[in-house]
Amino acid sequence: MGLLALGTPLDWPEAEKRAHQVREWGIKQLLEIWNKAKGKQRDALLWGDEVEYLVVTYDKDDEKVLLSLRQAEILTALASDQELAEAGGCTDDTIDDTTKGKTDKPIPVFHPEFGRFMLEATPGKPWGIGFKELLDVEPDMKLRRKIAKEHMLSTEYPITLTTFPRIGSPGQFTFPYYPTGGPKLRSQFVPDEIANPHIRFPTLAANIRSRRGRKVQVNVPIFHDVNTPKPWKDPTVNYDLHQWPEDDDVRNGAAPDEYIHMDAMAFGMGSCCLQITFQAKSITEGRQLYDQLSPLGPIMLALTAATPVYKGFLANTDVRWNQISRAVDCRTPEELGEKPLKHNRWRIPKSRYASNSTYISNDPRLRKEYLDPDLVIDPAIKDKLTEGGMDDRLATHFAHLFIRDPIVIFEEDLQELDMTKTDHFENIQSTNWQHMRFKPPPAGSDIGWRVEFRPMEIQITDFENAAFSVFMVLVTRAILSFDLNFYIPIKKVDENMERAHEVDAVLKTKFYFRKSPFPVRPSRANTAAPDDSRPGSAMASRPASPGPVEEEYAEMTVNEIINGSCDSDFPGLIPIVESYLDSVNVDVQTRCELSTYLELIGKRASGELDTASRWIRNFINSHPDYKHDSVVDEKVNHDLIGAVIAVGERESAGRNFAGLGIPGLPQLLGNFRGGCGDEAGRRQANGLSNGQSNGHHNGNGSPTLKRKNEFEQGNTENGKR
Amino acid sequence: MTQIILSTGNVMSAGPTIIRKRGTNRSNLELVNSLQSSFVSAKEDFAPATNGSTHAPTPVEAWTERQDGTLFVPRISWQGAGLRDEASQYEITVKLFFLRDTLVKEREQFARDALELVRKELGIQSIDLLVVAFPGISFEGDCEWEADRVNAAQGNLDDEVATWKVLEEFHSQGLVKKLGVSEFGSEKLGAFMERTTVRPTVDQINLHNCCNVPPPLKALAEKYDIQLNVHTDSTDILPCGTLREILGPQGAGVLADSPTGSNGLKGEITPYWVVRYMAFVQDRGVIENKGYFASSGWDEKP
Repeated sequence: MGLLALGTPLDWPEAEKRAHQVREWGIKQLLEIWNKAKGKQRDALLWGDEVEYLVVTYDKDDEKVLLSLRQAEILTALASDQELAEAGGCTDDTIDDTTKGKTDKPIPVFHPEFGRFMLEATPGKPWGIGFKELLDVEPDMKLRRKIAKEHMLSTEYPITLTTFPRIGSPGQFTFPYYPTGGPKLRSQFVPDEIANPHIRFPTLAANIRSRRGRKVQVNVPIFHDVNTPKPWKDPTVNYDLHQWPEDDDVRNGAAPDEYIHMDAMAFGMGSCCLQITFQAKSITEGRQLYDQLSPLGPIMLALTAATPVYKGFLANTDVRWNQISRAVDCRTPEELGEKPLKHNRWRIPKSRYASNSTYISNDPRLRKEYLDPDLVIDPAIKDKLTEGGMDDRLATHFAHLFIRDPIVIFEEDLQELDMTKTDHFENIQSTNWQHMRFKPPPAGSDIGWRVEFRPMEIQITDFENAAFSVFMVLVTRAILSFDLNFYIPIKKVDENMERAHEVDAVLKTKFYFRKSPFPVRPSRANTAAPDDSRPGSAMASRPASPGPVEEEYAEMTVNEIINGSCDSDFPGLIPIVESYLDSVNVDVQTRCELSTYLELIGKRASGELDTASRWIRNFINSHPDYKHDSVVDEKVNHDLIGAVIAVGERESAGRNFAGLGIPGLPQLLGNFRGGCGDEAGRRQANGLSNGQSNGHHNGNGSPTLKRKNEFEQGNTENGKR
Repeated sequence: MTQIILSTGNVMSAGPTIIRKRGTNRSNLELVNSLQSSFVSAKEDFAPATNGSTHAPTPVEAWTERQDGTLFVPRISWQGAGLRDEASQYEITVKLFFLRDTLVKEREQFARDALELVRKELGIQSIDLLVVAFPGISFEGDCEWEADRVNAAQGNLDDEVATWKVLEEFHSQGLVKKLGVSEFGSEKLGAFMERTTVRPTVDQINLHNCCNVPPPLKALAEKYDIQLNVHTDSTDILPCGTLREILGPQGAGVLADSPTGSNGLKGEITPYWVVRYMAFVQDRGVIENKGYFASSGWDEKP
């Protein structure tokens, strides 16, 4: 794994000089894997989820809740657990393939993350598509949380909030305490020690800052409550620091009025999310899924909204996305269009963490009008790829990713090009954090082409995380079975991504979405050749004369997109998934459990239940200590985290949520998983009240994939949000 | 007696017609809608060549086909039939609906005809699971004990067992790997199993609230390792009136609106059976092909 490779990282001016070499070698490696793997056919569906946790220290009687920076110690505790080792190991260093491969249900695997207060956990092996197997996801997620907790201090808890509400607030917010203003981040809000100490991460943060020529500017609009001053000036910004040149940033307008100002990568890359990776049958299917899932990204982002607080203040946005985008925005003033191009090659409209900018399939339904005519690509790289035999569209995609500089380069890696590896390619690929990622097979493995769906926010309970994961899996199966078409112009997907940030976008905002996702029937006349597939054999076909692109899509609410409506042509993703399930052989119990997941998602979309973001807002609003001035103080934060921990403990004990007295909880979780007790009579109506595995498990018969983490992460290196 | 064979082709690409409307439970809309859209597209495809201005109706003879006493509606071009990959990649499930008012002694022939069409359509030799739906049975699972009692009295066990013998023969010939039933409550299932050699591995049931499987049925299924699967099919999937409507002047325009009418082919029709096939790519969870054939007797009047 690239993560563990040690070496001498180059500082920015040095790294920049070698960027060209990394790109050139990266392209060679890409062509090598592409050539080897382009003919792969009939790979099974395997998929994996990734759940990320914040680790907090919490004491019911102590107002101070802190982020625990003991990531390394916790991973060490996990690695040295003899029992876990005998079960095949649960950290990247300790996995024993010989043991792990033999167990039917290998134990989950834990990974470090960018934030030193974070943990990531993945299943021990990828999931398949046995419908009963989908029911194993939730118990596995619960097991991960349980194992994690068992290797922490009694005061530490793994929680699945996207962000820690008071990260970067004045005073102590980490354990142990470190002063701010270290040499790597140069942040006035967070210490360097907030990041994973592995040399890759501080280098990543420092080089992004150096490349930009200033600190990152993560500015989030403040939510104005009745007592919030107007104009609002971030009271935590210190304008009188003179330790680093970057301390000038705030004096030069980095912290405008009405915005919560943050200045370090940790504010973005310290967010937790829920990512799903799918293995496709072939490169063609992978490209199709990449394109078809793209327009769903903003919808799922709005639907999973969970991020209303930053640095102790209520924000006027609901999701994490743009904050991460800004937290790793390495663009120079020239690339941003603030200065004329002199040193840099082009202006770049988006951060390297952003929604995708292009489609990649050769699907005939992909009209050229959907593409961005102003897409920035490196033409020389595109030429190399097409000369190597790659088709124009895929070459365009990679030539777009390769407009970026590699940020972290190890001196030792530049001595010799190793064509059996993909490290240089991955260096660029894995620091392009778009909302979809198209992953070629890792070198030297049987793993197939994969697509990663990255926009969803992590949810508070494992029930919800399992629901969204399973839903996305079923959506992909419906896309392939019904040959669905969600194409809209990629620029509209961008716009949707912005709209998804609005407070309560799930209910209040409309999104561009394709009116009819169904394939146009191929005519018998066009398939007369005997070797051709017949009409209706689900082959993509292009309508004879497509109408104007603008008539293909309309603005719809998330509810219309998810649940469908009588007034719109779009039938709704849930009815589509139900129709898929109606067509397959599935037993009563499994179908019932899957329906519970669909029901949760349907209720979130209709507004019958709240998003995590709405719940957090309401919780804060109803707290007696909240002064309606947008400030989330330590007491409020303490009680919010306490509520999240209490919910998690009930869930992991397999108990319902009754009697917790947490404001707004019934609006978040409804009657699911035993409910919140206020409608006791209906408790059993929503399936397993304890969420336990009911014992059935069918192995997916996929001996080709050795390791889960390898599968999901490919060879990613630099953090994955 | 002439036989009419109706077919839908692959309904997976048929669009909104097969997407379930929320709130509906059982229905035959998928069959009816996809037959109708199959007719419409066949008429378009076999429309007489025009200069682009006039739209003469497609003559019935152009988009249907008569062959050895069978009328195919629409005509089927078999040369493009088959699945994309080799048969071992798929799990093939077939559900055969015997319709009411048909003779039990004819069911063997019905089953042979239906399976032959499916094998030809999918280009396969054997079927993984054949589920049979007998007429006159429905398991309404909301009120458990009551449902079982009512169910036990439905259908005709002797007829069902006799029909099952035919299917057991298919099984022993290797044409079908597993057999299943639908709408059987515990009493009926228990009695049925005592009289059969090859036991059903699947019982398809329809439950309004799928979490409430009646305990006796659940226990029986566990004891004999029978999978209780969900289905949403109508218990009367192709009534005679519906068939006449979709073939009649308001529908396909093949049949006259009454047995003696003059606006189409004349004569009585009797629906015999409906078969639904589904080819599922097992390790990818993708439905590649799903469709229906329906057969009807036609007492042709000149």
